[in-house]
Amino acid sequence: MFEILTPKNLTIKIIICLAVLVVIMCLCTLVGTPKISLEEVFAGPGREPGHNIHYEIFAGVRLPRVILAALVGAALASAGVILQALLRNPLADPYILGISSGAGLGAIIAVISGITFTFWAGSPIAVFAFCGAMLTICLVWYIGRFAAKSQVTSLLLAGVVVNAFFSAVMMFLTSIARSEHLRTTIYWLMGNITEKDWSVLSIGAFFIVGGIIILFIICNKLNALTLGEHEAKALGVDTTKVKAIAFAFSALITAVAVNLSGLIGFVGLIIPHGTRLVFGPDHRQLLPLSAIIGSIFLVIADTIARTVFRQEQLPVGVITAIAGGPFFLFLLAKYSRKVSWLK
Amino acid sequence: MNAIIKVENLTFGYTQSLVLKDFGFELKQGQFLTIAGPNGAGKTTLLNLLCGLLKPKAGFIEIDAADIQSYSVKELARKIAVVHQEFVPVFDFTVQQMVSMARTPYLGTFGFESDTDKEIVADALEMTDTIQFASRPLAQLSGGERQRVFIARALAQNTPVLLLDEPTSFLDFKHQVGIYDLLKAAQLEKGKTIVSVTHDINLAAQYADIALLLGADTGYHIGCVKDIFSVEQIEKVFSVRTFSASVGKENFFLPLGKFAKDSRIIISESADS
Repeated sequence: MFEILTPKNLTIKIIICLAVLVVIMCLCTLVGTPKISLEEVFAGPGREPGHNIHYEIFAGVRLPRVILAALVGAALASAGVILQALLRNPLADPYILGISSGAGLGAIIAVISGITFTFWAGSPIAVFAFCGAMLTICLVWYIGRFAAKSQVTSLLLAGVVVNAFFSAVMMFLTSIARSEHLRTTIYWLMGNITEKDWSVLSIGAFFIVGGIIILFIICNKLNALTLGEHEAKALGVDTTKVKAIAFAFSALITAVAVNLSGLIGFVGLIIPHGTRLVFGPDHRQLLPLSAIIGSIFLVIADTIARTVFRQEQLPVGVITAIAGGPFFLFLLAKYSRKVSWLK
Repeated sequence: MNAIIKVENLTFGYTQSLVLKDFGFELKQGQFLTIAGPNGAGKTTLLNLLCGLLKPKAGFIEIDAADIQSYSVKELARKIAVVHQEFVPVFDFTVQQMVSMARTPYLGTFGFESDTDKEIVADALEMTDTIQFASRPLAQLSGGERQRVFIARALAQNTPVLLLDEPTSFLDFKHQVGIYDLLKAAQLEKGKTIVSVTHDINLAAQYADIALLLGADTGYHIGCVKDIFSVEQIEKVFSVRTFSASVGKENFFLPLGKFAKDSRIIISESADS
């Protein structure tokens, strides 16, 4: 009569989405100049490096880039899902709330101050980015506690202020710093996906995929938490613990994503929302499917960004913002009206 | 039989005022308690103390012969289910998803329902007659239907105790009676202990076994419904004049203000007698 979520049908959905992702990733590696053909790629690297140019482009340039886009898309969409649940606000997103800027500011401070130390698996940039994201998330949460009782929009307003402030500080810091890296830094701020080597990718993949798996474990408790803290406690959810895990790991994956590709907006807003429309609000399903669909979205967006102009590559953040901005306004209008109806 | 809820020497207050002082009562498994009293008497506060959301300043609360503080959040959710006032959730959960959340304190690591969980949820939907709109989002239901869904969820939580905060406010006559019939059925068929806060003492009197009347100060009265809901007590605690009569076993009350149409008749009647 009606569908009940079981591990079996969730697994089937995840496998189907993953298959679509893989197909799209393959197609996207073939798009662009110079053209490469799959046939040549499968011929292998050849006897010596540089022998098969098709393979070189595929394995050295296109594939890492597509994988990076997939990782960042998954991270941002998942962080969006978690933040929306925690703040009980369908308009939350790591970029809109200023958490991405927080991570970005942390990273820039690390770059400019020139601190060099290695901390477990992270460079100083990664550690600073994580701290920046975590601090911002706490700040937004603190503001959100006041905002939750009034309106959906006041939390967003707080996010806008946080975002503008951090962006200004970042611009200031990049201006006073040596200008040789200025162009790359600004591109990074606008959200730019470039080729990364495999070691960077594998560390990123470890944190992002690991973070999403840990967040998946608390998903059934997040369902209860979206009803409010009293309700969640009545349903046996240790709200303090669940919130701490959710905040820490969504900050972590946001920070890793920002580290890899700068500030990419609206993925965490559009993707969870669209996924929720199709598959419903159950977070056990929403989180994994949003992650995969986020990957698909960003792989396509990045392919558009690097092929739309022949000479120049656009930062992918430009594409996501062009797609996401109007969508955000539409949602804002929709929810503001819904909230005022409830009063 | 042992007491399922035991409250002793309970004291609780907010910064300015004391709400409960040296308060105590006992409730046995399978009893139906209704809590009434004027606004600000501490009805909801008491309910929140009983479900562990608030901690007492002094005294203790025992649930199933163990101190409420000794339970973890998860363990307590297996003893007590709470129905707060009806609301519309932010996200569009369906009725079935909402009722399934009742199984949260019983789920394993990844949080998926077992076949037993699904059966319990289906039973609760069946009993509350909400199965017909199980696949619809809560926002599309009327207030009365939504309240039934929250009661279904509380039933599916499979706890010996059920706490409800004004379960029939904002509902029409038919739905008010529907909710109380449902609660009574849960009490009689499943042996649930029910504690319900209400403003509608007339309706509650028809269903509850025990009544607790909280005064505006820290005073309180507890006992069988007929004794507690007496004319003198009601008029004193609520500080309002009432017209009262009895139907069958229970008294009922009609509050009368100065300008109420029938106010003068009652005054002249009482003056005559």
